Amino acid sequence: MGNSSAISIEQLSMEFGDPGQGVKALDTVSLEIQSNEFFTLLGPSGCGKTTLLRLIAGFEQPSAGTIRLYGEAMQDLPPFRRPVNTVFQSYALFPHMTVAQNIAFGLEMRGLSKEEISETVTRMLALVKLPDVGARRADQLSGGQQQRIALARALANRPKVLLLDESLSALDQKLRKDMQIELKRLQSETGITFIFVTHDQEEALTMSDRIAVMSKGRILQVGTPTEIYEAPANRTVADFIGETNFLTAEAGDDGVKLSDGQVLSTLTEHRGPVTLAIRPERVSLAADGQLLGKVENVVYVGTDTVYHLDVAGQGGFRVRQQNRDGAVGGYRVGDQVRVQVPTAAIKVLVE
Amino acid sequence: MSTPRLLAERRQLGRRLLLSTPAMLTLLVFMLLPLGIMFVVSILQSGEYGGVKWGEYSLEAYRNFFYERDLDDVLVFNTDYLEIFQRSFWLSILTTAGCLLIGFPTALYLALQSERKRNLLLFLVTVPFWTNLLVRAYAWMLLLRNGGLVDEGLQGLGITQHGLGLLYTDNAVIIGLLYTYLPFMVLPIYTSLEKMDWRLVEAAFDLGANRFHALKRIIVPLAMPGIVAGSILVFIPSLGNYIIPELLGGGKTLMIGNLIQLQFGSSHNWPLGAALSFALLSFVLLAMLVYSVRFKPGSAGGHP
Amino acid sequence: MNTRNPLWRFAGMRPAAWFFFVFLYLPIVVLVVLSFNGGQSATLWDGFSLKWYSVVANDAEVVRAAKNSLIVATLATLIATSLATLAALGMRGRAFRGQTLMSGVLGLPLLVPEIVTAVSTLMFFSFIGLKLSLFTILIAHVVFCIPFAYLPIRARLEGMNPYLLEAAADLYASPWKAFWKVTFPLLSPGIVSGAMLAFIISMDDFVITYFVAGAGATTLPVYIFSSIRMGISPKINAISSIILVISIAFVALSYYVGQRKR
Repeated sequence: MGNSSAISIEQLSMEFGDPGQGVKALDTVSLEIQSNEFFTLLGPSGCGKTTLLRLIAGFEQPSAGTIRLYGEAMQDLPPFRRPVNTVFQSYALFPHMTVAQNIAFGLEMRGLSKEEISETVTRMLALVKLPDVGARRADQLSGGQQQRIALARALANRPKVLLLDESLSALDQKLRKDMQIELKRLQSETGITFIFVTHDQEEALTMSDRIAVMSKGRILQVGTPTEIYEAPANRTVADFIGETNFLTAEAGDDGVKLSDGQVLSTLTEHRGPVTLAIRPERVSLAADGQLLGKVENVVYVGTDTVYHLDVAGQGGFRVRQQNRDGAVGGYRVGDQVRVQVPTAAIKVLVE
Repeated sequence: MSTPRLLAERRQLGRRLLLSTPAMLTLLVFMLLPLGIMFVVSILQSGEYGGVKWGEYSLEAYRNFFYERDLDDVLVFNTDYLEIFQRSFWLSILTTAGCLLIGFPTALYLALQSERKRNLLLFLVTVPFWTNLLVRAYAWMLLLRNGGLVDEGLQGLGITQHGLGLLYTDNAVIIGLLYTYLPFMVLPIYTSLEKMDWRLVEAAFDLGANRFHALKRIIVPLAMPGIVAGSILVFIPSLGNYIIPELLGGGKTLMIGNLIQLQFGSSHNWPLGAALSFALLSFVLLAMLVYSVRFKPGSAGGHP
Repeated sequence: MNTRNPLWRFAGMRPAAWFFFVFLYLPIVVLVVLSFNGGQSATLWDGFSLKWYSVVANDAEVVRAAKNSLIVATLATLIATSLATLAALGMRGRAFRGQTLMSGVLGLPLLVPEIVTAVSTLMFFSFIGLKLSLFTILIAHVVFCIPFAYLPIRARLEGMNPYLLEAAADLYASPWKAFWKVTFPLLSPGIVSGAMLAFIISMDDFVITYFVAGAGATTLPVYIFSSIRMGISPKINAISSIILVISIAFVALSYYVGQRKR
């Protein structure tokens, strides 16, 4: 725990309702977020990611634990005394003020001079590529524009940390993808630590330097997108990120044995019951594959074809093949097929 | 066992309660306390020249509901007041029924108009709401008196031969009450209808229901919360109405409101006035209790 | 679905609606028209004239009653709206134990029949030995104006995006600054609406005022009532018309303001 950490969460707990009987939104969570990092809190609804963000912003008080900003404890400070700013999910632009007044708000509160404020507002509008909307009323803008103004309003104050609460979830697909790139660019340009909350794992993988996967008030794993995707720490993480096939098996001396007797070789040294996690895109249908299965369903999704197989008595084992040669009909429902499973593609999970 | 969160919440709550205090205090002192005092007065002895004898208790006022004392100070069963209660109830029920009869189709009509027309019509419905009731009751006096517009109009149209003598009768009071409370019936029913999903009615049409059946089986049941709310909003206040029976009923059609006022005017019987008021209040509170338990949305007893 | 489509023309709907509006407005129209009556009768038309209005304008009693009404209404509105605004601000936010009860108390004047309120307030003043006067009227008016001011303010507050205050705090505004720069501007249409409502209600009140008015502390409605008691006259027509027109203008104004701010 060094002072270089932008945000340091120590044993943070948050309980709603009466102590001891309430709902635990956060359960003794600890985390270090670095300077100049695009950090994402990822998880399904109710996992505690938004609660954690709101605690950092100051809108809630924790039941226990410490939050430090560059070493200084800040959990006792009200939000208007914390040098962090938030981009809200619903943008929360002040409807009775113009765009320029919205952006200027934080600067006014801090007592900056009129010239400084005006100059900053102009700079911010240019930063989010909306130089002409300053005089418009905030509620006259489109959703995408409102989102960028909310961003500008927060960034205008040069916060040490910028918090983004599912800010992209109200946008449509195309706009969303554009904004993801924009946000990434802004973060690297400004050098401000971004803490981003989302339930969309693809979004997290695209934008983040590091991700914390959360579930039920706990952090399951922290790592780079590659680490999270390739080496999930447990079944929950593996299941949440991307698609995974799970096979129950028994690890023995000569390999891992499936319930129907088939054996796969893995790198594990563990013995006993295990779960195998295999990504659908890492395996392929090939005549010399080690795994035997029967085709239950063939799903064409444009870029790929996904084969749903029955393997070792378990249905739903997916194999994803890229349609490199177009929509070639290869296998059909009912066919017996063989699946090529590289050893490196098998993650052995011990629960 | 106090966490920072709980401390912050408690502080916030304290601040909020402080803000509400002035208004609450005003209402407690000048609304609740007087009601309490009124109850106490109802069980006090009446003073000789009006007012009460504080500290001397008696249930005479409540006895007066049913009995009066004859010259030998013996209790004799007296139906005068009971008649007045009964008349008030009856007139209020008639008023409620009348309001439903006219109000429901009106609300339906409103709900089916285009948005612009609807806003205009709604505005027209609300305007009389806020104008002085006294003045409007007076307007009816002009219309209903002998030689007034109603008489002239009906005679002119050849419907009647001579004056109806409408003013100062039960009928005048009913007309007046209807007039006062019609908007109270139309607005809640309109609100219910406006919120309704009209595609359900389209589905009913699709399944072979004609307009009558669609009304009976779909529209009316779905508008029921509004209908019940409107009925309560008409029945309860009309029970205690003072102005209409006073102006349009003359001294002849007494409702509870007039009876109460008499005790503070010529009759000088404060305990009786207080007792009557308390009885009226109790009934109103009871009715509201029944309503919120049985009919309010989300309550356990809500009917299907 | 619209009435142009015969599918939606329910029987009796139209006639009922027509009857409703005619029934509602006929007396008002008749009253106003008759106030311009040139003759002595309140109902028999005898030519157009403004004379009754000038009679009213020159009647010192009427003018004094009108003044009293205005004074009470203005003061009651100011006090009630302020108290109601504070209460609405206090009620906003997470629900707490006893909140329903407090809401109930705030709405009590709407629930209790007017005559009961009138009687109990009279008893109260008698109990504490306060002589009936314009002041007692004012107290009674403040009490029943509070819920009328409260409702639109509360509604406006509920409609406000709760995150706006968090955004203001996030942007370094202290709670006091956040109230003035964010909450109050957004709340003000509701406050204006509530104040107008309270004003009209106070101006129009009769029953409660009748009970708690002292001698010489007449308001306009009480004056009208006493006049009616003495007999129908065109003068009353004129006073009534004035009140009606003012009320309607007020309601129209408040409606207009409400529509614009949306």
